Amino acid sequence: MRPHRVWKATAIVGWVLALALVALAILVNTTALGERTWLRVLFGVSALNFTLRAAIPLILGAMSGILCERSGIINIGIEGMMLAGAFAAFVAKTNTNDWPLTTSLLFSTLVAVGIGGIMGLLHATFSIRFRMDQIISGTVIIILAAGISAYLFDRDAVAEGKFAPIAIPLLSQIPVIGPVLFAKPLLTYLALILVALLHVGLFYTRWGLRTRAVGEHPRAADTVGIPVNRYRYMNTTLGGMVAGLAGGYLVLEAVGQFQEGMTAGRGFISLAAMIFGNWNPFGAMGASVLFGYTQALQNELLLAGVKTVPRHFISMLPYLVTIVVVSGFVGRVRPPAAEGKVYETEGGE
Amino acid sequence: MSRKRLFFLMALLTLLALVLAACPAPAAPTAPAQEQEAAAPAEEAAEPLAEFKVGLVTDVGRINDRSFNQSAWEGVLLGAEQLGLPEDNVKYIETVDSKDYADNIQQFIDAGYDVIVTVGFALGDATVEAAKANPGVYFIGVDQFQAEALPNVAGLIFHEDQAGFLAGVLAAHLSETDIIAAVLGTDLVPPVVAFKEGYENGARYIKPDITTISTYHPGGLDVAFTDPEWGAATARQALDQGADVIFGAGGITGNGALQEVAAAAQAGQRVYCIGVDTDQWYTLPAAQPCLVSSAMKLITPAVADLIGMAFQGEFPGGNYYGEVGLAPFHDFEDDVPQEVKDQLQEIKQGLLEGTIDTGYNP
Repeated sequence: MRPHRVWKATAIVGWVLALALVALAILVNTTALGERTWLRVLFGVSALNFTLRAAIPLILGAMSGILCERSGIINIGIEGMMLAGAFAAFVAKTNTNDWPLTTSLLFSTLVAVGIGGIMGLLHATFSIRFRMDQIISGTVIIILAAGISAYLFDRDAVAEGKFAPIAIPLLSQIPVIGPVLFAKPLLTYLALILVALLHVGLFYTRWGLRTRAVGEHPRAADTVGIPVNRYRYMNTTLGGMVAGLAGGYLVLEAVGQFQEGMTAGRGFISLAAMIFGNWNPFGAMGASVLFGYTQALQNELLLAGVKTVPRHFISMLPYLVTIVVVSGFVGRVRPPAAEGKVYETEGGE
Repeated sequence: MSRKRLFFLMALLTLLALVLAACPAPAAPTAPAQEQEAAAPAEEAAEPLAEFKVGLVTDVGRINDRSFNQSAWEGVLLGAEQLGLPEDNVKYIETVDSKDYADNIQQFIDAGYDVIVTVGFALGDATVEAAKANPGVYFIGVDQFQAEALPNVAGLIFHEDQAGFLAGVLAAHLSETDIIAAVLGTDLVPPVVAFKEGYENGARYIKPDITTISTYHPGGLDVAFTDPEWGAATARQALDQGADVIFGAGGITGNGALQEVAAAAQAGQRVYCIGVDTDQWYTLPAAQPCLVSSAMKLITPAVADLIGMAFQGEFPGGNYYGEVGLAPFHDFEDDVPQEVKDQLQEIKQGLLEGTIDTGYNP
């Protein structure tokens, strides 16, 4: 039934490990264990909050990648779609500063998602309609987004306000888990829900089955009457929308302002997370959280004033972990078989 | 067939992307219309005044950057107003690319300007070089430490540690948790280190046992001041660890921290933030919900004073220390008790006279 049986063992190990860490985190934050600096650095609420915060754009980026690549379109342009979404959100927000805050923020989010979708559609059109090399098309998207946003960016514009945390009644009262997971701003919830949605969608719906068929064996899918390229258009556009949401998250929830090149390589890191997560939504989420955690750890060590290790080695931590993880585990994953290949119906045109 | 069209479209888009990526922000070449018309020129000095010209070269960025460029330009305008210079005698050039520093300075020299203000640490070398080649022109280098004194260069620098010290005193008084934090640019830039050391020592001056959690951006010079995401996340981390006053000192990175604290304040938490360099109440309105004050470097009056001295021929070569201080408390006037205000005044005096030491010795 479920694909990737080999992966399943890894997934179980992952879940067990995650649960053990959560248990440890609760102990550290509620008992006397918290008096040990090292444990607090590793599992304190502030470290966990930082982890989630750093992970959200990566999670969304990885979801974007999964949507596209599961249907056979390589999306290396996530970075560009994110940046376009971020810039669109900023422009929308600065122009609606006089609206009620929530309305203005929601509107800006929609604009970010819409612009991301347009970038996705552009990528799909290049890749499918014009049979362009998908890597090049993705690169064009990145350069285009970076160029346009830097050119049109009005440095005097100020976005006022950002998404404030919403505490979910009762759930937010749980020690440790409450403040970390259930007292977050809107887009964080949205991103986490999206992961579950995508998992269910991919593996338990007709749309998901067809998407995977199109990505694995388009000829077979076509033979049974699935419109291959329509699925690819749809999924790439959806992927663009999710990447746009990631950009919206950066501007409307994480920072509150736009900055040239503010995605700062997150699109690429989320690609790594997607690969490390074996093109599975929960796997990619786990990988994103791991990458986020390394950043949190780096900052916790800096904040705790650790002087035994030079600061520059601490700064290396996220990159070191990424390299170790990707080089150590990436051999075991398998991309969708038809990824990056143009599909033409026989005797087409 | 669509293939030909495809190549055309692709080529066009790629070209567009490259062109746009290469295009810097359009520079506004004209000086902004200055409303306050050069007030009644002093009659006795009419002749030299009409000839006296002041030019300003910005660091990469716009003249109205709500930061150093803008403060320095306002200083030029103020200086011109105090002297009664005609409006046309002050001009600025916005630097678009750091390769153009020397060329932009040269433009003013060629046009016969008497005083040239260069804004920012990065213009230091170009300024000194131009000054050596043109001993008849006065240079004011904002934030440029002069290792060797030239008679025609005034490096306008500040005792950042004193500004930080005052911010630390204020933070210690405001804190109820006795944990305060600073989110900083990089320790590769000495003024940032001075701000931090001053801040921490100022806080300890009031409460010797106070916990200070301060952290520098882990990246290099290229990203340390332009990473608001890190600033915001780090500020949140500090709040999670119980800090209730956060000092954001590091350009846009620091601004990210201030805005994060502002969001927490809006959510009802009792938290304060302290800005840096200019009065960020005006430069970063989004921080107003938490912004109790800013550790300021008073660039504007110092530039104006230096221009006046240049005009009178009493130009101080070498390093010139500008004044530092705390910005007004604005909406938080009532949160700061009168005795604290008095004490801040006393400490500022003590710092100026040298009776109080910030403990920062580079």
